[in-house]
Amino acid sequence: MFSFPEITSAFYYTAAPVLILVAGSMIALLQGVSTGYSSRRAIETVAWITTFAAIVAAAAMPTEHADYLAGGLLSGTLARVGQLAILMISAAVMMMMREHHTAQSFFRGEVISIFLMLISGMLVLVSSDDLVTLFVGLELASIGLYVILGYVQPNRRSQEGAIKYFILGSVAAAILLFGFALLYASCGTMRLSGIVAALPPIAGHGWVRLGALLTLVGLGFKLALVPFHMWAPDAYESAPTGITAFMATTVKVMILTVALRLFSGAFSSLSDVWYPALIILAVLSVIAGNIMALVQSNLKRMLAYSSIAHSGYMAVAICALSATDTSLPVRAILFYLLTYVIVSLGAFAVVMSLETPDNDQLTIDDLSGLAKKRPGLAFAMTVFMLSFGGMPPTAGFIGKFFVFNAALNNHLYGLVFVGIIGSTISLFYYLRLVVRMYMAQPVAPFGAVNTANGRFSLTNLVLGFAVVSTLLLGTVLPAEIMDRLVGAATEVARK
Amino acid sequence: MEFFNSHVLSIMTFLPLMVAAVIFIVPDDKFARVAALGGSILTFFVSLHVWHYFNSGSAKIQFVESYVWIPEFGIRAIFGVDGISLLLVMLTTALTPLVILSLWNSHVANLRYFFGALLALQTGMLGALVALDLVFFYVFWEVMLIPMYFIIGIWGGARRIYATTKFILYTVVGSLLMLAAAIVLYISYHRQTGIYSTSILDLYNASLDPTTQLWLFGCFALAFAIKVPMWPFHTWLPDAHVEAPTAGSVILAGVLLKMGTYGFLRFAIPMFPLAVKSFAPILVFLGVVGIIYGALTAWVQQDAKKLVAYSSVSHLGFVVVGSVALLADGSLSVEALTGALYQMINHGVSTGALFFLVGVIYERRHTRMLADFGGLASVMPWFAVILIIATLGSVGLPGTGGFVGEFLILLGTYQSSPVAAVMSATGVLLGAIYMLTLCRKLLFGPVTHEENKKLKDLSPLEFSYLVPLALLVIIMGVFPEFFLAKSKASIEHLAKNYRSYSLAIDSH
Repeated sequence: MFSFPEITSAFYYTAAPVLILVAGSMIALLQGVSTGYSSRRAIETVAWITTFAAIVAAAAMPTEHADYLAGGLLSGTLARVGQLAILMISAAVMMMMREHHTAQSFFRGEVISIFLMLISGMLVLVSSDDLVTLFVGLELASIGLYVILGYVQPNRRSQEGAIKYFILGSVAAAILLFGFALLYASCGTMRLSGIVAALPPIAGHGWVRLGALLTLVGLGFKLALVPFHMWAPDAYESAPTGITAFMATTVKVMILTVALRLFSGAFSSLSDVWYPALIILAVLSVIAGNIMALVQSNLKRMLAYSSIAHSGYMAVAICALSATDTSLPVRAILFYLLTYVIVSLGAFAVVMSLETPDNDQLTIDDLSGLAKKRPGLAFAMTVFMLSFGGMPPTAGFIGKFFVFNAALNNHLYGLVFVGIIGSTISLFYYLRLVVRMYMAQPVAPFGAVNTANGRFSLTNLVLGFAVVSTLLLGTVLPAEIMDRLVGAATEVARK
Repeated sequence: MEFFNSHVLSIMTFLPLMVAAVIFIVPDDKFARVAALGGSILTFFVSLHVWHYFNSGSAKIQFVESYVWIPEFGIRAIFGVDGISLLLVMLTTALTPLVILSLWNSHVANLRYFFGALLALQTGMLGALVALDLVFFYVFWEVMLIPMYFIIGIWGGARRIYATTKFILYTVVGSLLMLAAAIVLYISYHRQTGIYSTSILDLYNASLDPTTQLWLFGCFALAFAIKVPMWPFHTWLPDAHVEAPTAGSVILAGVLLKMGTYGFLRFAIPMFPLAVKSFAPILVFLGVVGIIYGALTAWVQQDAKKLVAYSSVSHLGFVVVGSVALLADGSLSVEALTGALYQMINHGVSTGALFFLVGVIYERRHTRMLADFGGLASVMPWFAVILIIATLGSVGLPGTGGFVGEFLILLGTYQSSPVAAVMSATGVLLGAIYMLTLCRKLLFGPVTHEENKKLKDLSPLEFSYLVPLALLVIIMGVFPEFFLAKSKASIEHLAKNYRSYSLAIDSH
């Protein structure tokens, strides 16, 4: 039965961030073709105004759980947290891009238009209860990413990365869509909340199980879980670093939000299907991600493999969602995600401050002796690496503590053991960076002038924010954050 | 004053870190050394306050402070000292100013960062000793690693990066397993009581089935065994010591290694008492092997620093053997336990002095090979005196602290297992051999190298940090009661009641 959706003011509040972004995207597109308004400054203005308006709108979004457009759009804590996270990352990335040597090619009408449009796709994805809308949001985001990846700096390498990402991403999308189709065919509904109710009686049916499995594979592709990770290192390495930072963080946010909705809600009665499969993916990602990261010499590639390993840790926590009480695992995932996002942004900000037009593929050796020339940057990078490695007193330790806590609570001893081995391996390559920065002689002059020591710059602002929050999240803030995530956890657990 | 009295442990713990923060901000080496020395001496005075007002007759936890960190998960910061941790706290606060003094005129690069790292390290060590909450203990335990990692990696010798990476990876493998075991313990306690708590005062009461206790004890024991280090997990130690700068070696041998043996006494044994019976023979075996292996390896070393490093493996073997000397009635031997604790302090003092002395000659000759020296007694008489005192303390001659410790350990171990005692006793003999070999090769005989004839004797600065240690070696041998009185009640409580251990809070 189709009934025309009732449109209330609450609906506009909920839809506002997406609508603002779409409007901004259209304006930027028109600016790009008009001679008078296609200057970098005019386009930047539109980009900033749109992003900040969207942030304000997302912050003002109602936290009561409600749905509109037949489940196409949700309001609620999780949606709000996800949208805010994505928008703030976007703002941070724009701040960093502004001072990067690729700024001129990034702040162009068509690029900004695509950028804003793909963010709107991500927002749709994190606030949707409907399989079709989910898919549309995901594709909007993915196609935008394919384009931006190859378009901002059109050289051979970035185009190769973009094509690889495009082909594998499309296969993943097809698999995911097939999974969704099977679920729809079996359950007769597109709504996740409807699937929860429809699944238990038919949970043993082969098509349903295949549908859930294919969905998992599709999400695994996007999260870059091993063995579906092949696109990630190439894409990370070849993209302009700002885009890499954007991709590494926002994609995780949006996919994990969906994963939370699916695995703790809709698929809870199918845990015997996805749970063993996810365990395998988690183990492979933690081990292979960390081992591959060990042998990388390119900094961005190393960070790519490390992000694969971190996806693995998050998958460990997702496995813990098969427990009856999902509050701890959900919050563990969100906390881990928060720290991962902040630390990744910080690490990529360091990379961006060191890149020059002549050398935008930094190797680990290029960081040698950084502590002597740029002590602030070296200190920041050390904090990030320690946090990635899970050492106290940084956020990474608390995140790992909660993830292990959730997993052990669910008797996943083996997984935690694998996590421990992975952590130890990871410390080796994270610390190798620290060794290079502090214990080796400088080999090359460092980085762009506008982010040098002590000078105010937006990149340094992002960096400072990331360092401070990494340390605060590891010391005084965890209780506060975990408290605030309770809302999201209860919402996800809603059956 | 009221505030000081109720927060004395956290003030003591975090004071060095705050000074370190100031040192990092103010870019001046001269200021840094004054601030570092002042800060560490102030910390020492705060710890003297604790020592003075510590109630010796009580086995309770004293000077307790409790702060809530993550209320929902029962994670609190609980600080407190008892007789066992008090002595180690004093060792830490006493050793740090001496280490800072030893760097007073140093010309290494980025000296102020060195001071900062040492002070941050001190906060880590003190925190790990006073924390009575598993999460906080773990945090401090890991926080200790980071400054040490930099100290070895930045200011160390030629193979410093290999050594420091090995050091940190070894330790992290153990400590992550310990973290997992701690979480399992915490979850089991929650399942039993419905309360989330990471406070060990609560967790002592968790009743776990024997198999779980075995596993958890194993995980904790591995972390501690790597830190001690017990044979066969000791291989990181010689590398770390050889590559570390003198100051790093002193702290590493003096305090850091004791964290492992302290961990057994505070965590592994009282929390998993049912596993002690199964693990005690293994630990005693590994301890005895460590004693003999360490001694034999030390004997053949050509490098003075390596010799002292291997002697640590041997001496800490004694501590481990003494920590788990089970008597027939199932309790631990009080004598052996007392000896183990005393030996920890002794080893810190005498080995600290030995590393300083090796540093003294290394600074003059830039070599530590025994073959490059000889006859120093005639050139550097004061150096010889202090080296001999430290050596005697290390081999356990009556009248030095080493004698008291080793004697008590052997006495207690004999009641538990005569074979182990006899085997350990050979370690005393071997210890005398290799340490006296060290003395002979350095001090006596003719001066064979022309350069050695012009060596200067100890400078006033070197006296300032060596004399206190030399005096301590003797004072600890002559007046052991002065030190042991503080820990008697706690040790007896642990030895007799570790099977149903609990620590009451002394609120005075």
